[in-house]
Amino acid sequence: MKTNTSGQKKRIKRSTLEEFLCVLPAVLLVMVTTYYPLAELIRISFTDWNLLRKDYNYVGLKNWQWFFENAAGNNFYRDMGTTLMYTAGSVLISLVLGMLLALLMNRMTKGFGAMRAIIFLPRYVGMSSAGILFLWILNKDYGIANNFLELMGGPRLAWVTSKGLAMISVLMLTGWNSVGYAMMIYLSAMTGIPSSYHEAAALDGATRSQRFFQITLPLLSPTILFLLVTTFISSMKVFNAIDILTGGGPYGSTEVIVYLIYQLGFVDYRVDRAAVVSLVFFAFLLAVTILTMRWSENKVNYDM
Amino acid sequence: MKKTFHGYTKKDKAVYGAQTVIAVLVTLIMIFPLYWMVVTSFKTGNVVLTKDIHLLPDSLSLENYIEAWNRVPLGRYIFNTVIVTIIVMTIKISGGVLAAYGFARGNFPGRNILFYLILGAMMVPHQVTFIPLYILCSRLGWVNTYMGLVLPSVVAPHFIFMLRQAFMSVDQSYIDAGKIDGLGTLGAIWYVMIPMCKASLITVSLTTFITEWNSYFWPKIITQTDAVRVLTVGLVHLRESWNGEALWLHTNVTMAGAVITMIPAVVLFFIFQKYMLTGYSKTAMK
Repeated sequence: MKTNTSGQKKRIKRSTLEEFLCVLPAVLLVMVTTYYPLAELIRISFTDWNLLRKDYNYVGLKNWQWFFENAAGNNFYRDMGTTLMYTAGSVLISLVLGMLLALLMNRMTKGFGAMRAIIFLPRYVGMSSAGILFLWILNKDYGIANNFLELMGGPRLAWVTSKGLAMISVLMLTGWNSVGYAMMIYLSAMTGIPSSYHEAAALDGATRSQRFFQITLPLLSPTILFLLVTTFISSMKVFNAIDILTGGGPYGSTEVIVYLIYQLGFVDYRVDRAAVVSLVFFAFLLAVTILTMRWSENKVNYDM
Repeated sequence: MKKTFHGYTKKDKAVYGAQTVIAVLVTLIMIFPLYWMVVTSFKTGNVVLTKDIHLLPDSLSLENYIEAWNRVPLGRYIFNTVIVTIIVMTIKISGGVLAAYGFARGNFPGRNILFYLILGAMMVPHQVTFIPLYILCSRLGWVNTYMGLVLPSVVAPHFIFMLRQAFMSVDQSYIDAGKIDGLGTLGAIWYVMIPMCKASLITVSLTTFITEWNSYFWPKIITQTDAVRVLTVGLVHLRESWNGEALWLHTNVTMAGAVITMIPAVVLFFIFQKYMLTGYSKTAMK
């Protein structure tokens, strides 16, 4: 019997090793593509690295000093404000328009299924196709949006090229692209609410809006929080739509943080300064994630 | 209140009717941009730049598609995009499946630490690390190569997390039964885990394909010549090959390019709709 148990032990050991080997490639790849670059970012922030020069020196806190002493001059505050403004608009579209769409499309017939698919579809159109499409639709002189506006007696607006409307244009593009996703997330949560809740409330004489505010909305709170956090984080990282539609302009009015990092790194070649802004931006994202996770633990209704 | 045969009141019926009308209108607004992309791609030069509204194309000729194809090496862009997508899918999915199995079934020391390491990577987006990633690629001589293009995308922590959840829901007795029949670890993954978690895997594969096909940010940074340029970046290149008024005059050609770029992902969406929707709702609920 003794040989048997030692054989078993060997088998267990071998299988443990095999399972470790299974996770090894992914762990190594994560180290190379995520943690090593993050560590490098910290190191670069203490150098005077310029992409055009071969060598670099360590300069201590010089870049951090540059950052904190001229945060206004180097556009960080302005771009952070722009990013937050974009994010607020984007979150509002997802949370509110997404919810309205979900309520509107919440009927389980074939026709409504097809309409839901169409609303969800733009998410799968790449941002470069969608971006140049919206440049065309929103073109001042010949765009179909202005053609319709004019037909209804409105003015021809300079959508992407005017300071006031450029951000609205970006939000139209990204909103069109992503609102269907929010709708689908809401709908899948709504189907999880037992219909008996609504029936019982209806029997007690609750109106549609009462049922929405007293039953649907509270039970959707985990979904709303999920959408809030994911939309917030992904909107803070916006780049593609801005790059294609406005290039950060006009006059920097749509220049977001990732665009600032990109410009510092690949236009000014000052990767040292870009590293500092990247790290501050990362710290901000991390803080938001951790705070919402903490906060959500006791504020959200998981009673389902 | 009067009840109709199905138990609906007249007011209910009116609400339903209004709901249908608004739903159709909203759907039309959402689909219109794509419709406009396709229509513009078939228009001939002189009707593109007009202030009148022509909702239908004036021709059905493929002229603009041919011009787009000849103006820039679209064929090369498509080839590059396919190659990059295949490499990324292969590494991301095989590595992801292996890791998910190891984390779901393994009991080796340090398992939890390594798993948290993978989860933690979800909080570090490429928008933060793209500069050191670029420097890494330039040190390895990978700028403007396929290797450079695929590097940041070859591992996806949230897929590992999602697949691990799926693998954990498979009962251990299936794996034990397989092992008694002589399956090794890889055999257990291939013959037991993969068939039993097919839906999750299809979702993961589709999402990977579409994300990679549409990716723009990193390819824009790492590619410099047509030899490795992918479709998304090439499309912007096509558009910017004209200047000033000529740029808008050739909108029909750019739209033809946009349609070509968009089609694979859109077709996949319609074929595999079911998997996309369930995949999202499942991840959302976790």
